[in-house]
Amino acid sequence: MVDPVMTLTTVEMVEASQIGMKSLAAALAVVGTGVAAAFAEYGIGSAAVGATAENKDVFGLVLLLTVIPETIVIFGLVVALLMLF
Amino acid sequence: MLRAKQMSRLLIAASRDQMQAVIRELYRQHICHIEDFVEDGDGEGFRIGMPLADADEISSKLIKIRAIKNTFGLSSEDLPVELKRSARDLRALVDQDLPAIQEDVEALVGRRQKLEAALREHEQRIKELTPFTAVPIDLGMYRGYAGFSVFTGRIAGDVEISAPHERFFSDTVPSNFIAVITPNDYREEVEKDLLEARFQAVPVPDEEGSAQSCIETHAGEAARIREELALIQSRITEMKTRYSEFLAACDELLTSEVEQAEVPLRFATSDESFLIEGWVLADKVAGVRESLDAVTGGRVFVTELEVTETARVPVEYDNPSFAQPSELLMDTYSRPKYDELDPTAVLAIIFPVFFGIILGDAGYGLILLAASWGLGRFITSDAAGRLLTVLRNASISSIIFGMLYSEVLGFALPWEPIIFSRHLNIGAHATGHGPEITGLLILAVWIGIAQISLGRVLNAINHHHHHEVRGVAAQLGWLAAMWGILILLWSMAPIPYMPDLTGMAPVVAGLNGGGVAGALICLAGIAGIACESALELVELPTIISHTMSYTRLVAVGLSSVAIAMVVNYIAIGMLIGPQLEHFSALGIVLIIMGVLVFILGHALNTALGLLGGGLHSIRLQYVEFFTKFYKGGGIKFNPFGIKSKFLED
Repeated sequence: MVDPVMTLTTVEMVEASQIGMKSLAAALAVVGTGVAAAFAEYGIGSAAVGATAENKDVFGLVLLLTVIPETIVIFGLVVALLMLF
Repeated sequence: MLRAKQMSRLLIAASRDQMQAVIRELYRQHICHIEDFVEDGDGEGFRIGMPLADADEISSKLIKIRAIKNTFGLSSEDLPVELKRSARDLRALVDQDLPAIQEDVEALVGRRQKLEAALREHEQRIKELTPFTAVPIDLGMYRGYAGFSVFTGRIAGDVEISAPHERFFSDTVPSNFIAVITPNDYREEVEKDLLEARFQAVPVPDEEGSAQSCIETHAGEAARIREELALIQSRITEMKTRYSEFLAACDELLTSEVEQAEVPLRFATSDESFLIEGWVLADKVAGVRESLDAVTGGRVFVTELEVTETARVPVEYDNPSFAQPSELLMDTYSRPKYDELDPTAVLAIIFPVFFGIILGDAGYGLILLAASWGLGRFITSDAAGRLLTVLRNASISSIIFGMLYSEVLGFALPWEPIIFSRHLNIGAHATGHGPEITGLLILAVWIGIAQISLGRVLNAINHHHHHEVRGVAAQLGWLAAMWGILILLWSMAPIPYMPDLTGMAPVVAGLNGGGVAGALICLAGIAGIACESALELVELPTIISHTMSYTRLVAVGLSSVAIAMVVNYIAIGMLIGPQLEHFSALGIVLIIMGVLVFILGHALNTALGLLGGGLHSIRLQYVEFFTKFYKGGGIKFNPFGIKSKFLED
């Protein structure tokens, strides 16, 4: 004999927990890619500042190199958005 | 537009006695980019020229003027021009007035340095004497004992000393003061006790009388010196206001004379003649020829040389006025080469549009528009002015997109979004259908496809210009590979806002007609790319990654919307709203906090929006768009001469 109220509560709980899991997965996507992008930019950025101090003309080029890894976090953000909505 | 201004390569030759006249005329015209002569083995007897005779003398005068300008802290850029002087009058004045001004300034500066040193000395003495004011003993009494030792210094607190001694302790001065006198026999014991109490010795100043009276004498001297320093400073200021324009004009005159005197270092010269190679805008060639003929009485030979493929042609932008501020963004990356397409005009249109798509909020747009207008009133420098114009265009675009998205500071405008909605459901009671993420992402991908295709087409045009068939084939190959992959994808799964080819009948290996066509186009494209260089094939994944990169237009924008809506929810939904319903004393504090959160949150988000919108839009141009066709590395067209500011032409 199955209690209908109990079943309803269980279904609601499962749904809520699924939403929570989804949000956690989205957060993981952003956190992981964010850390990765930051780590990549950390090295490039410090080298870029050094290079600019030596020669101002390379500013455009090194800005470009510094922002290249940012695509990683954008992908993370896109994946998170697709998961959430 | 899309090409640099046409340049002509000129060769100017004349006998040496015409050199000065030619230099002066070229300088005045300010239109010729001189190419440095490089001595190589077969220079046919030509050597690098020597500076004109009076170069040394003018340089040393210029150094003096710059030294005075430095003393005054003058910058020619900030000075308004009241009257333009004639060069001849000014030259006479330089010889007549300058030595006297220089003497005065040097005397004043020398005196100021001496006084400043003396002032420091007195201040140091006052500092040394201050601890001794705590004990009523004349300074002379601390010195000159044969049988006694004297300890003076700072200490944490009064100290018990076991050996026979006499001591004065005072806590009326900062870090306290102690003076201990003891027979020489007990010296070491006393010293030990003192050191244990963390005693720091202070030497007795070499003065007579009471410490207080010494301090008064020094303070009096210091005050007198300060007065004199103020007097000197006011005289320097007075001289600065009187001579600033004269000095700036002299600086300009002598700078121009030094440049003219030293320019022969860039010429090829023989014993009797000299040669100048340079670049002039093609439409100015006739004018240069005529004016040089006029000043030399026809004793000059001017001819146009052929522009070879390898020539390093200087580049002068040729853009309509709306695109000129964006030249700054181009120069930050790299100036275009003479023989490639100049994308400034494309950048000038696309950059603000991207900025608008990302920020897309009428409120932030208005704030940035006001900021660019307000800053523009204070900033006079050319580069900053251009940057502000770019910002202005970007903010206007942001306002327009804000109206389309129906967004103002994270709130909705009184109408439904005209294009895709970016409204998130934030807060406990949020209702609504939420953002149209898929539509927005696909719009961004479409923009990416369009811009990357444009980049490839521009590169094909560049290659066509150089008659490089393989290059053109490779670019068409890249286009085919990208569109082939797209068609393949459309045939495999239905994607909203994109053509749906899934309905076609299957042909082979699970692919339908569209899929087969897409795969074939893609393979043909790969063959085209390999035609130029097989190594390029390792870049194939960039087709996907660069296109996907355009989704940042949506992702960065949505994060900015999220911050704005969260700020609104905390400030109004949680702090201000409930308090307005049930008024109380605590409520007023919470309302003030809510207002603060609102202002700070939106200020932060405006800054983030400016950074995010600006950097990501420019990055899409630099990384995703320019890498498809643009090389850069052109030389700036830098004509010989300066624009006179303080001198008559």
